Amino acid sequence: MSLITRRSLLENAAKGGLAVGAGGLIAACGGSSSGTSSAATSGTSTAAAGTPKPGGSLHAGLTGGSSSDTCDPNTIVNNTDYCRAANLYEGLVWTNAEAQMYYRLAEEMTPNKDATVWTIRLRQGVTFHNGKDVTADDLIFSINRVLNPKAPGEAANSLHGIIASGMKKLDSRTITVPFSKPYSTFPESLANNITVYVLPEGFDPKTAIGTGPFKLQSFTPGQQTILTKNENYWNSPLPYLDQVIMTDYADETSQVNALLSSSVDVVNLLSQTTIGTVTGSGKKVVISDGGGWNPFTMRVDQAPFNDVRVRQAFRLAVDREKMLQTVFGGHGTIGNDIFAIWAPEYDHSIPQRQYDPEQAKSLLKAAGHDSLSLTLVTGDIAQGVINMAQVYAQQAAPAGINAKLDQVTVTDFYGPNYLKWVFAQDYWYYSPYFPQVNQATLPGSPFNETHFNNAKYINLYNQALATLDVNMRTEIAHEMQMIDYNEGGYIIPFFPAVIDGYLPNVNGILQSKTGSSFNNWDFEHIWKS
Amino acid sequence: MSVAAETPLPAPGPGATRRSARAWSRRHPVWSMVVVRVALGLLTIFAVSIVIFLATQALPGNAAYAVLGHTATPQRLQALEAQLHLNRSLTSQYGSWIGGVLQGNFGTSLANGEKVSSLIGPRLENSAVLVIGAGIVGTLFAGILGLIAAARRDKLFDHIASVTALTITALPEFVVAIALVIVFSVNVFHILPAVSAIPPGTSPLSDVNALILPIATLSLVIAPYIFRMVRGAMIEALESDYVEMAELKGISRFRVLLVHALPNSLPPVIQVVGLNLLYLAGGIVVVEYVFNYPGIGAALVDAVSNRDIPTIQFIVLILAAFYVFVNITTDVIALLASPRRRATR
Repeated sequence: MSLITRRSLLENAAKGGLAVGAGGLIAACGGSSSGTSSAATSGTSTAAAGTPKPGGSLHAGLTGGSSSDTCDPNTIVNNTDYCRAANLYEGLVWTNAEAQMYYRLAEEMTPNKDATVWTIRLRQGVTFHNGKDVTADDLIFSINRVLNPKAPGEAANSLHGIIASGMKKLDSRTITVPFSKPYSTFPESLANNITVYVLPEGFDPKTAIGTGPFKLQSFTPGQQTILTKNENYWNSPLPYLDQVIMTDYADETSQVNALLSSSVDVVNLLSQTTIGTVTGSGKKVVISDGGGWNPFTMRVDQAPFNDVRVRQAFRLAVDREKMLQTVFGGHGTIGNDIFAIWAPEYDHSIPQRQYDPEQAKSLLKAAGHDSLSLTLVTGDIAQGVINMAQVYAQQAAPAGINAKLDQVTVTDFYGPNYLKWVFAQDYWYYSPYFPQVNQATLPGSPFNETHFNNAKYINLYNQALATLDVNMRTEIAHEMQMIDYNEGGYIIPFFPAVIDGYLPNVNGILQSKTGSSFNNWDFEHIWKS
Repeated sequence: MSVAAETPLPAPGPGATRRSARAWSRRHPVWSMVVVRVALGLLTIFAVSIVIFLATQALPGNAAYAVLGHTATPQRLQALEAQLHLNRSLTSQYGSWIGGVLQGNFGTSLANGEKVSSLIGPRLENSAVLVIGAGIVGTLFAGILGLIAAARRDKLFDHIASVTALTITALPEFVVAIALVIVFSVNVFHILPAVSAIPPGTSPLSDVNALILPIATLSLVIAPYIFRMVRGAMIEALESDYVEMAELKGISRFRVLLVHALPNSLPPVIQVVGLNLLYLAGGIVVVEYVFNYPGIGAALVDAVSNRDIPTIQFIVLILAAFYVFVNITTDVIALLASPRRRATR
């Protein structure tokens, strides 16, 4: 396994091997990455930041929460849930600002030679918030808790094929996990927010005891969460802050007003139209080239999309550059209808699909449509999604596509018709390629919204799971991506930027490719001057 | 608005009881009206609870879908629906809810399992502070201006005040709110907080600064109506024979205004104040959003999007009860304030 450890990554970064940011974003957002405590990322602005100063309280104004928010890492749904989980708990592996996996609570994860049994050794000297040592028993408990058939955790799908009864404890911090079939991508499947967080045996979400850099002090769903510093955090001197206060905001206007009047120190997920307002009044923004994506979803098993030419026509009917310009002010990365843009196995050599309404029209004609009217279901499910739908409807018109927008509420969007819409949208955070396939494009995937079911593709995926050699696996990935590119049901016009705002005295905020705010809720590196 | 006030008392029982009840109601016209109105009010609230329950059923999806959102898989949906008892029949869901309410138990939130009353209670207090605060400030402010405008009818002050009032009427709440934020906290001056996120567990009165802009917004929004009503009613009173008589007797202008004219112009003003309080109870949601103020308006929006039926029911019941209470109270005060109307009963 060629896992990149955090240390080696940071070393590489310091050498300039992993400079942040595709194309000029750093310049575009004026001083965005001021202050990076870990030698990391751009390597441009560490001098300005100075030495991290411990102490202080960070007040974060965050959108996305509601009264159904939770501290149970098995049922996290929205941004504030992710934020709490990422600071209270830790998984075996995690993703850094460069979208690369590193070991967090695991010291090592090693497969047997056919990748059917994984040996996981936990880091030494890690304690829970209640002072208890993290042991192999806790890890087994945490895996079983995700698999609980009465209340399955979201990460259950990442443990597909696990033989839970066969898990064995080798010593106080080592276990073996057997699978019914090879699972070479097991570690990277756990490297995102939906993961097996390591919890103490007998975990109770009310006390929210984990190993994370912060402890739970109080939690009022949809209103406020207060976290305090974990004095015994294993990765000392982190965290720098004594306290984090998360206040829920329902609306970007009040969120921005709170930042402008310094009522909060940081705000998440701003739209591009507010960048000027924020920077104009002396506050800062960090514009991150996220790996998250907001696709249009076409059901490949339903007319008209069961004809691959129609899908190709719909993909040619979008002017990606212009849409990115209109909706995100040009902040982001153009997409090519293939997900996992920052994954090492992403094939950048596939030619970029261009806007070509004429060819789209002839493809539709070949498929027997002089013109095509259909409904595009949209909703305020993520930043900019409705605008994307509006722009698409306009751009696709010259190709003879008449897309009528049906805007529904978020609740309705994810109601009983979710995963059944013929033509709709969705949003995803960044995930490496194979874990993303597992979530979205296989017949057994829990979120196969395009109903993609391609025998060759499935075959390749299973081959990849049985391949431990990374180079060979990358070749397989490239073959699968050609199928995504030619026959898939997603239109991925771009990977939008993630825009967060903060006060000038807040340091340690990284530009990040994770597609989530604040380098995937990394508050442990933030400090105030 | 006072249809019920004119309805006769329903016959409570046969024979002697009925006669004595009628006699009682003749002797105590105000009390008998209160009794009838409260009874009808309770009936209204009950009807509202059924209508709201049925309306929530008409929404697509349920709390399980709403809570799981983006992450709903069939297995997880099934597990949660069973846990929340969403697979029971409609009548049994409503029956167990109303049964609990009659025993003072408003149920638990489907969104997070907390007791609805302890979840919404603090938010209710927050909203009450806004509504009552804006009611008092807006009424006093508009009342005084109305009095002055009436006393100086067709003078410069009257014209300026009347035109300003009309202008504000045309502005939606969020425009007023954002204008105040721009002026007092973000762009021009930096003296008041732009948001009023009252931390859970603290009284909104503990940080009065945070209340100023929301209350000012709501006060400005209701003031024009009260201003115009006070002005109109006062002008009518000032043109009456008894005011002319009082002036001829040489009573001071000030005393004529406050002692002779004002009491007689109160009944319509009280009705308008009541209407504005009702409007505030429903209308604060916009202000709660702009100032991120944790009140029941925002809680109701959240509950609807979470399909959290017990919470929706609780908030709507409270609002319905408030409507009934304000209606009865303003009618009673108006009745007490007007000797002629009191006598006709």
